[in-house]
Amino acid sequence: MIWEVFRQEQRGKYHTHCGNVHAPDKEMALMFAQIQHGRRRPTHSLWVTPRDEIGEVDAEETRFGGTTDKSYRWASTFNTDEDFAAEIAASQREQEAAERERAEQDGGAERGSDAEQGAEEGESA
Amino acid sequence: MSTETTGLGTPESLTDAEREAVEAELRPLADGEFVLAERYTEWQVQAPTLESDLAISNIAQDELGHARLWYDLLEDFGYTEADLIWEASPGEFRHPTLVELPFAEGDWADAIVRGYLYDAYESRHLHALEGTSYPRIADRVGKVLAEEDYHTQHARNWLSRLCDDEPGRERVQNALDRLFPYALTLFAETEHEDAIVEMRIRTESLAAMRGEWLEVVVPRLESLGLSVPASEDGEVLVDLPDQVGKDGSHTEHWPELLEEFTRTYRKLELGEPPRLLEDPNEA
Amino acid sequence: MVTMDIDTLTERAGPRQFGPKDDLPEEYRKAATRMIQFHANSEIMGAYLERPFIRQAPSLDRKLAFSAKVQDEIGHGQLLYRAAESLGIKTREQMLDELANGEGKFLNCFHYPMTEWWETPMIGFFVDGAAMRRQATLKKTSWEPYAHAMDKICFEEGFHIKHGESILRELATGSRKEQKLVQEAFEEWWPRILQFFGPTDDQSTHHDFASAVGLKTMGNDELRQSFLNAYLPKARKYGLELPEYPRINEGENGRYEVVEDDLDWDEFWQIAKNDFEPGRQQIDSRRAAREAVAWVRESMETLGSGSNNTDTPQAAD
Repeated sequence: MIWEVFRQEQRGKYHTHCGNVHAPDKEMALMFAQIQHGRRRPTHSLWVTPRDEIGEVDAEETRFGGTTDKSYRWASTFNTDEDFAAEIAASQREQEAAERERAEQDGGAERGSDAEQGAEEGESA
Repeated sequence: MSTETTGLGTPESLTDAEREAVEAELRPLADGEFVLAERYTEWQVQAPTLESDLAISNIAQDELGHARLWYDLLEDFGYTEADLIWEASPGEFRHPTLVELPFAEGDWADAIVRGYLYDAYESRHLHALEGTSYPRIADRVGKVLAEEDYHTQHARNWLSRLCDDEPGRERVQNALDRLFPYALTLFAETEHEDAIVEMRIRTESLAAMRGEWLEVVVPRLESLGLSVPASEDGEVLVDLPDQVGKDGSHTEHWPELLEEFTRTYRKLELGEPPRLLEDPNEA
Repeated sequence: MVTMDIDTLTERAGPRQFGPKDDLPEEYRKAATRMIQFHANSEIMGAYLERPFIRQAPSLDRKLAFSAKVQDEIGHGQLLYRAAESLGIKTREQMLDELANGEGKFLNCFHYPMTEWWETPMIGFFVDGAAMRRQATLKKTSWEPYAHAMDKICFEEGFHIKHGESILRELATGSRKEQKLVQEAFEEWWPRILQFFGPTDDQSTHHDFASAVGLKTMGNDELRQSFLNAYLPKARKYGLELPEYPRINEGENGRYEVVEDDLDWDEFWQIAKNDFEPGRQQIDSRRAAREAVAWVRESMETLGSGSNNTDTPQAAD
């Protein structure tokens, strides 16, 4: 049986996926995960969950966040000033970063398929 | 994409007949998405669970966004958003009456059945626009179509869950009985139908689309233990309602809804609806 | 594992220090539940108050933005009820039932009726702005799931405030009629907005414990002060005139002093008990809507017993 392992580096931070282990049950999975995934990197806590219980949907199957213009849900669309309050400025900076990453990912996905084709044609760097 | 047919040109270059046909195709499409969304938003903060609330809100926004794209193409012909929506009279709207019906409180089955019947039609309609001869439509179909998958999945998943027990199935059946005749208005033809198909603004006739729609919708609904007043080979046992919408005739619910959503606009005597988003041509 | 005693708890209290795995004293778990449930309830009732304006928004773009904003508030409710649920005192269903039957408490401002578009920035800019001031400080709360919820809420909330300010600006720079209406709305809502942070700290019953164990990181007075510092200049910028009462004295050190006796605390406490008639109506009509879809929740609970729910792929429709 396969267990997915999530590690939290410090108290208060998020558990993020770091790998998996083969184990017959939860206790053994926790035991193995401590060594395989917690012995070197800073670790405060580990979660394990059966792989079969994990559902997944990916960008091949759906268009996360939609394909038409959704800028109405982003702070940067509203051209009032955000710097009068630090928390609003911080929110907008985070949103701008997310928007940039989304744009890069979209561009990257297109470039990625171009690159694959390029590789076949021996053009990739 | 069909590049072989001699396409229509830019909005300015259309003949009067071409322009009329394009308008006749776009107006019900834009109004249909808009009014469906307007009704969907009634579920915001009232949906069965918090998660389902978020999902239906998103679908409402998607459909509104689609309406925005289609209205924008009508604006090519000199109309403004104010002309098309905020200052329009009830009869100027051409949405099929399916989408204007109110929801009875708590009738989630109605929202799901309506969404299912509509989405099954809409994705068919969009596919029939993929090869359109009018480039302004062709540019936008892909983006709209890409958002329809989630809607279809949403409707299908909910339908099968609701039909999983007897009380749920009964509610779905009631909604279906009430909505099915109105769903036929999705395929009601206008006087421009022949022109639309001949000019290949839409590559399939409404009659053909209706046939395909029945082929898909009827078996799925029947597989869930529902009875449908139609068969998959095209036989329909109910009449069209008196008001079909696409000819400008509407139920008594429509003027009421229009009155409600134009309330602020009228009270503030705006004259121009405020814009926030980039023009779709720029975005 | 032994339940942590209050002294240890107080000593260890700090940002994001406690999580579901810690065996915390009931006093902490109850206090945190009370606080987060109140916060979650407020998201729902705020959204409930704002939902008519999705319909009444005066343009497609404004409608889209309003719908997205109300959607976010429900999303915040979802995050917060989960954070509250993880304390092990109440389930989400219990908390939503309590909100429906009038036991659940929520922010004072959401007990007042809001009927016109020009009132919406009072919530969307001022009340949300006040809430965001508080929320930013809660990123350092000691209950880790609450802090995590706050990360996502604060990420989204910037859109809400700017959306509110955008409507305010549109009205304040619009026709004479719009300016007059928004001024009237401001005068009506301003005292309620000042009461957002509650009475001064010494009158707050739950404050001491919540502060001691790190649930709260800033006091009401301090929050109100920082709210006034940021938002009073905004009101002035848009030409909104402060009503004569409640009096606000500006001290030499830039601090504002609100004359608390000028505010209606009887009404505030009546609201706090869910006894204020307009608020009661909001609660009751939301309950009716919630009950009307109870059948769907029941149907979902029995899922898996039937045969239809394995959605085998069929031809695309």
